Amino acid sequence: MTRYALRRLLGAVPLLLGVATLLFFVFSLAPGDPASIYAGSNLSAEVMDQMRRNMGLDRPIHERYVRWMGSMFRGDFGYSFARNEPVRDVVFQFLPNTLILSGVALGLAFAGGVLVGVVQAVRWNTLTDRALSVVVLFFYSMPSFWLALVLILVFSLYARNVWGWPIWFPPSGMVSVDHAALPPLGRVLDRAMHLTLPALSLATVLAAGIARYARGSLLEVLGQDYIRTARAKGLPEWRVVGAHGLRNALIPVITLLGLYLPVLMSGTVVIETVFGWPGMGKLMVDSVFQRDTPVVMACALLFAGLVVVGNLLADLLYSVVDPRIRYD
Amino acid sequence: MSPVLHHRRQWVVGGAILILAMGIGLAGCGESVPGERSVRGLPEFCQEVLPRVDAHLAEMEQPQGERYGGTVVVGAIGDLADGLNAFSLADYTGAQHQTHMHLMTLVRVDEELEPQPYLARSWELSEDGSELTFHLRDDVTWHDGEPTTARDVAFTFIRATDPETAFPNAAFWANYTAGEDGVEVLDDYTVRFHLRPHSEILDTWRAMPIMPRHLLEDAPPSELNRHPFGTRCPVGNGPFVFFDRSPGASWTFVRNPAFPQELGGPPYVDRYVYRVVPEQTTLLTELLTGGVDVYVSPTPDQASRIEAEEEVDLLDFHFRSYVFVGWNARRPHLSDPRVRRALTLGTNRREILESLYGGYGEIANAGVPPFHWGYLDGIEEALTFDRDEADRLLDEAGWTRPDGTGIRENGDGDRLEISIKYNTGNQQRQQIAEVMQAQLREIGVAVEPRVLEWATLFDQITSPDQRDFDGVVMGWVTELKVDDHDLFHSSKVDQPFQWAGIQDSELDRLLDTLQVVMDREEAIPLWHEYQERLAELQPFTYFFYPQRLAGVNRRLQGVHMDVRGEWVSVADWWIPEEARRGRSR
Repeated sequence: MTRYALRRLLGAVPLLLGVATLLFFVFSLAPGDPASIYAGSNLSAEVMDQMRRNMGLDRPIHERYVRWMGSMFRGDFGYSFARNEPVRDVVFQFLPNTLILSGVALGLAFAGGVLVGVVQAVRWNTLTDRALSVVVLFFYSMPSFWLALVLILVFSLYARNVWGWPIWFPPSGMVSVDHAALPPLGRVLDRAMHLTLPALSLATVLAAGIARYARGSLLEVLGQDYIRTARAKGLPEWRVVGAHGLRNALIPVITLLGLYLPVLMSGTVVIETVFGWPGMGKLMVDSVFQRDTPVVMACALLFAGLVVVGNLLADLLYSVVDPRIRYD
Repeated sequence: MSPVLHHRRQWVVGGAILILAMGIGLAGCGESVPGERSVRGLPEFCQEVLPRVDAHLAEMEQPQGERYGGTVVVGAIGDLADGLNAFSLADYTGAQHQTHMHLMTLVRVDEELEPQPYLARSWELSEDGSELTFHLRDDVTWHDGEPTTARDVAFTFIRATDPETAFPNAAFWANYTAGEDGVEVLDDYTVRFHLRPHSEILDTWRAMPIMPRHLLEDAPPSELNRHPFGTRCPVGNGPFVFFDRSPGASWTFVRNPAFPQELGGPPYVDRYVYRVVPEQTTLLTELLTGGVDVYVSPTPDQASRIEAEEEVDLLDFHFRSYVFVGWNARRPHLSDPRVRRALTLGTNRREILESLYGGYGEIANAGVPPFHWGYLDGIEEALTFDRDEADRLLDEAGWTRPDGTGIRENGDGDRLEISIKYNTGNQQRQQIAEVMQAQLREIGVAVEPRVLEWATLFDQITSPDQRDFDGVVMGWVTELKVDDHDLFHSSKVDQPFQWAGIQDSELDRLLDTLQVVMDREEAIPLWHEYQERLAELQPFTYFFYPQRLAGVNRRLQGVHMDVRGEWVSVADWWIPEEARRGRSR
């Protein structure tokens, strides 16, 4: 399996190089001169020229391309125009925040989604199943930003100001301003409190989708001959569903994991904005608007890499749940 | 059990442990106890500088008194992305943090916008107005303990006028001799500049913060704006000391106990936190739930919600911007001032101000905002909504409609049709264009609103070989010193910002004189004349000067905000002990 994984990763190198090249030329040839944005209120030609020189934009495009590629291989992505810092530093400041948020959201979404799907499949065609279907469809069709605002309204504003609940959730930020002064356990709790609402808004919508998949897939599996065999040999129902049914039913759900991973990295922009969560999605969108091309290119490349890794991860997980699939 | 399965289990368990460890590791990083900060992972420059600041801070005695203490939290939608480096471009908020909090300018202005001593104790201008000498305070130190001297001032000037620095506000130095020839250090605390006489001479020194020579001297000018000083470890000399930053999320400052008493002394609050909350609905919730004490610039439709709440107050104060529709006088049907005046008269701006800004603003007829000492009282009444007068002016200008209803035509049979462009994503501008379409139809003018992406629109109106527009909805931010040279002077007609394409000798004369008259009393009548002329010419249909709003928690005392900015009084903000964070909740 290790060899297979290595082979896949090596195979991704030319792909990523192609993506990098394409990105470079698309962004370099896009209309709008970054220098004009950073030259301030006076668009004097001298300042603009100097700005371009300082930004390295005065060179011909092929020279810039070779230089960019060269430094990229040394792990240097240049300087951010808007943030006056090395791009690598910028990305490493924002990446962990996104990893925390999307990691937790993904975990919640899969746990919750699969659980609901299983309950629905086992109680197929009962009132429970139908009621859950309605709930799931309700959340599935809900835009996550709207859910986010409702959560803030209910669990921050109303909880504190109207109902006076002893526990209410902070509407934004990653930590409270007194975070550093808290005891260690208090700090973990503080982080968890801040993580709750954004992770819930992300996870709920995803979980609804996963529940639909899990239900459908498990229903199909439960109709198979080997399930009947398992039941016939007298296994308890939870073993039938848990060990024999679920394991096979998870294969299509795992495909979703591979698909969601990159989406979660880039697609959290709305949630990150609503909750003031300084992550990659927000960074990327801000950078696009500020024509901060070095940052945009680095982010885009990172996302491309995540697509590759996400797919690889899904393929490897297949072999975990399905013994028939082997990569040797 | 097959070995394969065994491996698989290990793999799964290992993976779970790894993910857990990552989560804990990430949750644990970046922690620090207040008073201590970690320099780990910072650029070498910062690793040297920050411990010196900490050591200096630790040596100083903190002020005692019942007002001292607590943390104030300010929330706004944008980060201080450009940091606290005065050599690189700073937006409004960043510039405020530089001039009022972290760094010092030579002079500051009082509520009447009269220059007052700040880093400079006093100054004098030579008889012919060509030599400006500043005498500096000798009790100001940088946050690392080094004294601030005349050499810092000279260094700041020399770097800012060095073309390699690409300093963004080059207009500051338009009347100065650039580089080392323009400045003399007479002694440690005296510095002299060589310049051409001009009006509002001190305005540059109100806006330009002084930077520390001893830290930045070795950096090549072309790399100054990306120096780690700006974003990772700024060292200033103002009332607040930079403590920490969490990119995209917050900036933290602490009190500078050494700030001179004569200038207001050390700030009352122990700690100031600037928080970034990009979504305004969330930010409002933060204000209402006590997460932030100040909400910078809420939207007008949030104003009533803030006013209704007991815990918070709404402040409104003058700002330096205005909203307008710029007309392209190069187009034949817009070249006649009577037509442009009719377009203004035919638009009910009061109604638009009420509906878009909830009435928080003032009607504008010329681009000199009401905060300005040269503002002509009563000018806001000059072009009040009057359809009959608009009809009369258009008739007089030769655009008639015999039947009294349809679209007006001139003698050659051309119809009075204009387009008004605006940029995508700005609802207020869209509504202005659409309301004008409806209202001007009443006086026989056909308006077609057109929306364009910002960069494209900007190119179409600013590049001298395009100027592809009839009217455009725009906003403009003035400085405290108003200078419309770039907008209206005929010598600038081929420069980017002379959108209007206006060429008027009367306007030129006023603009030229206003640039050199140094005495305010002498300048006031000229400013009045200038505004009357603008109201008559209407190169723009000026709409309004929107007020700036702020939501402030009532526990925060001593808050004063005016046209100088939200942060002008931040050193005087204080919180009664019983209401401080950590006690009330």
